[in-house]
Amino acid sequence: MAGTGFGTRLREGVWEIPLRRYVALLLTLVVLGGLGFVVRTLAHDDRSCAKGVLRAEGSDECVGVSATGYDWGRAPLRPVVRAIDRENRSIKGPYVTVALLEPFTATDADNLGDVLHELQGAYLAQYQANHRSNGTVPAIRLVLANPGATGAHWEHTVEQLAGMTGAKDRLRAVAGVGLSTAENKRAVAALTARGIAVIGTSITADNLANGQHGKDPFPGLARVAPTNTDEARALTSFARVAADKAVLVHDQKADDPDNGDPYSLTLQRSFEKLLKGSPYAPWSFNPPDDRSLEGSTANDFEQITHLVCDTDAGTDTILFAGRHTQLRQFINALGERGCQKRRFTLLTGDEASYLTGDKDLNRDALNHNLTVRYTALAHPDAWLTSPPATGGSAADAQALLDLVREGQGDKVGPIGDVDLEDGQLIIAHDAMRLTYQGIRFAKGSKDIPTLEEVRNEWRLIKGTQQRVDGASGWICLDNHGNPYDKAVPIVELTSRGTARFVRIAWPEGKPPAKECLPPS
Amino acid sequence: MGGMRVHRQLHGRGALFDTEPAGLAPRLVGLRPHQHRAIAVEHPQELPFVVLTGARGTGKSALLAELRRAYHGHTPVALVDCEAAEFAAPPAGRDTEAWSPVSQALLVIAEQLAQPVTGAGRITFPRLMSGLVAVAAGGWRDADSERIRREVERILLLNESGSWIAGFAGRWAGRVAANVAAAATGTGPLLSSAIEATLESISDSFVHRRRQRAATWWRDYPNASRNARRGLMLLSGHFRAGGTSREHAERHLVRALLADLTDAYAGVLPRMQRLGRPLVLVDNAQSAPGPGLTDPVLRDRSAGIADQVVFITALRGTGRPALRNAVRRTLPEVARRTDWTPDPASPASRALLVSLPPLTADDTLHIVDEHQVPPQLPHAVHRLTGGNPLGITLLTESAAQNGTGSLGELLTSDVRLHEDRDGRPAYVELLDRLVPADRMEELTVLAAAHDHDSATALAAALLPDDFGPADVRALQTRLVQEGLPEVPGRFVGDPFVRTLLLLRLHHRSADHGRWRATHETLIAHYAPPGPDEAHTRYRLHHELALGSTESAVAHLRDTFTALDTRTWLRTLRFVASAPYFHAHDAEGHDFAAHDDRRAAIALGHTDAAQPMPDSADDHAVAVLHLRIRRLLHAVWQLTDPLALPDPKVCDRLRFELEQLSNLRPAGNALLWRASRDWPEDALAGRPLRIPDGNDDDSGDGEGAA
Repeated sequence: MAGTGFGTRLREGVWEIPLRRYVALLLTLVVLGGLGFVVRTLAHDDRSCAKGVLRAEGSDECVGVSATGYDWGRAPLRPVVRAIDRENRSIKGPYVTVALLEPFTATDADNLGDVLHELQGAYLAQYQANHRSNGTVPAIRLVLANPGATGAHWEHTVEQLAGMTGAKDRLRAVAGVGLSTAENKRAVAALTARGIAVIGTSITADNLANGQHGKDPFPGLARVAPTNTDEARALTSFARVAADKAVLVHDQKADDPDNGDPYSLTLQRSFEKLLKGSPYAPWSFNPPDDRSLEGSTANDFEQITHLVCDTDAGTDTILFAGRHTQLRQFINALGERGCQKRRFTLLTGDEASYLTGDKDLNRDALNHNLTVRYTALAHPDAWLTSPPATGGSAADAQALLDLVREGQGDKVGPIGDVDLEDGQLIIAHDAMRLTYQGIRFAKGSKDIPTLEEVRNEWRLIKGTQQRVDGASGWICLDNHGNPYDKAVPIVELTSRGTARFVRIAWPEGKPPAKECLPPS
Repeated sequence: MGGMRVHRQLHGRGALFDTEPAGLAPRLVGLRPHQHRAIAVEHPQELPFVVLTGARGTGKSALLAELRRAYHGHTPVALVDCEAAEFAAPPAGRDTEAWSPVSQALLVIAEQLAQPVTGAGRITFPRLMSGLVAVAAGGWRDADSERIRREVERILLLNESGSWIAGFAGRWAGRVAANVAAAATGTGPLLSSAIEATLESISDSFVHRRRQRAATWWRDYPNASRNARRGLMLLSGHFRAGGTSREHAERHLVRALLADLTDAYAGVLPRMQRLGRPLVLVDNAQSAPGPGLTDPVLRDRSAGIADQVVFITALRGTGRPALRNAVRRTLPEVARRTDWTPDPASPASRALLVSLPPLTADDTLHIVDEHQVPPQLPHAVHRLTGGNPLGITLLTESAAQNGTGSLGELLTSDVRLHEDRDGRPAYVELLDRLVPADRMEELTVLAAAHDHDSATALAAALLPDDFGPADVRALQTRLVQEGLPEVPGRFVGDPFVRTLLLLRLHHRSADHGRWRATHETLIAHYAPPGPDEAHTRYRLHHELALGSTESAVAHLRDTFTALDTRTWLRTLRFVASAPYFHAHDAEGHDFAAHDDRRAAIALGHTDAAQPMPDSADDHAVAVLHLRIRRLLHAVWQLTDPLALPDPKVCDRLRFELEQLSNLRPAGNALLWRASRDWPEDALAGRPLRIPDGNDDDSGDGEGAA
């Protein structure tokens, strides 16, 4: 007999007989397929967090775009995310998608609180758009885009957003963006380069805006918050600081090409103009790359405090150009300063608004001859008592407050705990309002505007008919998409951790005319 | 034959079994031997009906057995031996009216073919089954239901598919047998009831197109009027009628078998399951039912009723008259391709007769070498047997069992072919298989004869009275039919068989009386001087066989100068071809004694003691006498198939012939030529050549030729 080995038996008992050969091939294919499937399933690193959301390469952070009720693993976000999901699913008829780009996976309470408030504001505006605008179409579908806590995964998220502009999702605008970090700047550049309109909520940095030095690097970017320059102008119009009575403390790395901070830099440049001729050179601190981390800057500030005490007795104003974590550290250090008797007023930008809920802030410092005033993006009290005739109205502010109240109920909400004082909810609401109004103006007689139509709409948001009557004041955009003479509430940080409204300041020194048309 | 120890590998039959390139069998079957691997078939449309031809002992049965072993389990194989007892007569209690060797053979063949093979299940034979039931039912007139049941169940098993579905429902055959038996013993017409029950059982068993086709197949029987039941009734009637009617019926039964096989290979699923072709092996196809199986297949194929069954049959002899027009080849010729194309006009041309040649010296060496044997034995065996496979294997077996190197001893020693049987002398075992058993006795005597006349003389003197000249002729014809060569001057043409027969004759009686009587009879028969040298030659030949050399030497001496040299050489050669057994020894010993006196004489060791014959007065005559005496013994020894040529004797032979050539200027060239050729031929084991002669009568010395 020929060999009786396995090979021979396989050859002669199976392969040579066509029926068995085909059955065996089929079985082999099925088994291999099954094995492949099993191996893939077993070996597959399931990086998916939820639909549209996955763990980024080399990180456990869930990034991407969520159009479902996924709460990003953050319990505080859960009620409002569910409300948004419910709202999205209830949409019937034509709709467009607007993404809210925020660091939803932020780990620190400050940023997460901000995110929550912006999310609540955006949702309330979506609700308003879909239910309180006489059935105007298109409806607004709100999705949540997360580039990561530090914005490190912006590329992935931007790619995903770019893929949603088709007929299924009809993404027409991205709102939010939040902090003016370098990563966010790149994200905005990438989004606008792809023709997607971006509406900044709390972006205040000058270099994250169009029209700087006559250039529009972000075509289709609109902002709700005034630029840092405008804030600084408003702040200075409020404070009337004398150069010889003030010192500047700034972020040393604000102009760093990689880890720079446009917000801090803008503020720094504006303050530098005010302080021309100051006897003291600006003092800088060196923050970590992720400015939400504590780092070792507390040490810097302790030393700066000594310098502050060493100034002339006439010096009573400290201008701070930096982020809120560093601001907190500085305030805490000032609370321990040697010259407790001397009275100082610290002026800074809207970042200070984070400190209202910051548990690490030594609030007692504010009881020791230290006043912290800053430009808020918005404040709930700004329009309630003796508002100016133009530039905003108590009625608009009250409308949002009513909506917020409704948000605690089951019909609109629940949207979770609401804190209006940091202005994030108000400004996000206004940004969403600007977004949906812009989209609806842009659509013309059709149901759905094109990306381009949305992108080109911002320059027309002005005048009595088309300005946006925001809860934070009128929003009239100049030709570069920046708000013109936007009301800037000046608030004071209280020792109770709240922001007390001081008064409204105007970048132009006075409220806009009722036509609200920016000058050329 | 069947009991022969068969070698694992058959030597010298590669033309049939080779794998690369494929031999005849693989090319026809489409499978490599012993493997389940398909190869391309040589005749994809119509294949030859292979008939292996040859005399007894040429290895036909061994080939068929090896074929079955090579393909068993790989493709359906059936092997029947037509000389088996089961085909000779109906089983006890069975009527010859309803039984024939062919019907029995078909049943046995189908039973074997039905066995499952690798990749495919059992084959069912519904057509053949219903035909066989109809035939069997013809003999049930007064049978009891138990016997009917027994008979029919075996036939019905042919339709047992053996599938698990059928198994689920119980043995189909058992149930149907009961039905058929009940129907046959019932009140209605017996035959039609049985047929009806059988047909119903086919078509009812499964609703299946294949089965329906089978159930209606018999409606094509002539005059059946498209009615299967009627067809089977006619079949049964024809079979019972006997004669050509039975042949007609049997032909349709064969056709039914082939149709069932064709059906088993038809369709997508069977083609994907079955490799190659089914193989039917028929041994001893010269006897019934062989022709009854062969001729219908040839006829059907000739008539265009094609099938794809590989038939390889073995036929003793060179072919039946019915196969006269068959294509004939030798086995080596078909090693690579058959070159077979049938002649449309002749059914016999569908057959391919392949004769099996003797094994070569190399083959012999390979076979014999499988055991520890003396080195010269393979050559001796081949020289004795002339390449007869049976002779080679049996002598090898004897050598293995007896451990001796002498051919004579090997032949007379007992050899045991079966564990459970006593050993018998090897030559007896050989003769049992090489000559017809019923004529063994006669042939033993007649082997000594040369032609019809001498045979008749022997028969008259030594054989019973009822064995007359006609029987001598019949026996001679029969030997030729069985494939033994026809050689002038030899009653038994095959040298090996003749040697064995003479050996048997020698051992027939303890005192070798029979042997002596035979030769004396022939000496007497040739006593009257014939027309020429022939009678003298024969007489001297037989005298020599009895050990008397004197008159031979004297005759050769006296005629050396008188006779034509060529004739003289022939006489020498023929006289010296006498068998050499020691029957003449004073002690009555036979040749088993180791001393071969011929060599001694040939080498001149006994010359001194040799009394000079009367006429050898002068010295020259005396020298010639001794020389011729030595020469005769040298040739006698060297041409003895049972003795190995002695090189010294060869040398002496050369010398003596050279010397003689000097004495005969006229015949100088011939004698000198012989002095060169004969030693060479003797050593090689060839017949001695007579130079430049009309030498087709090698070895016989028939001067009349």
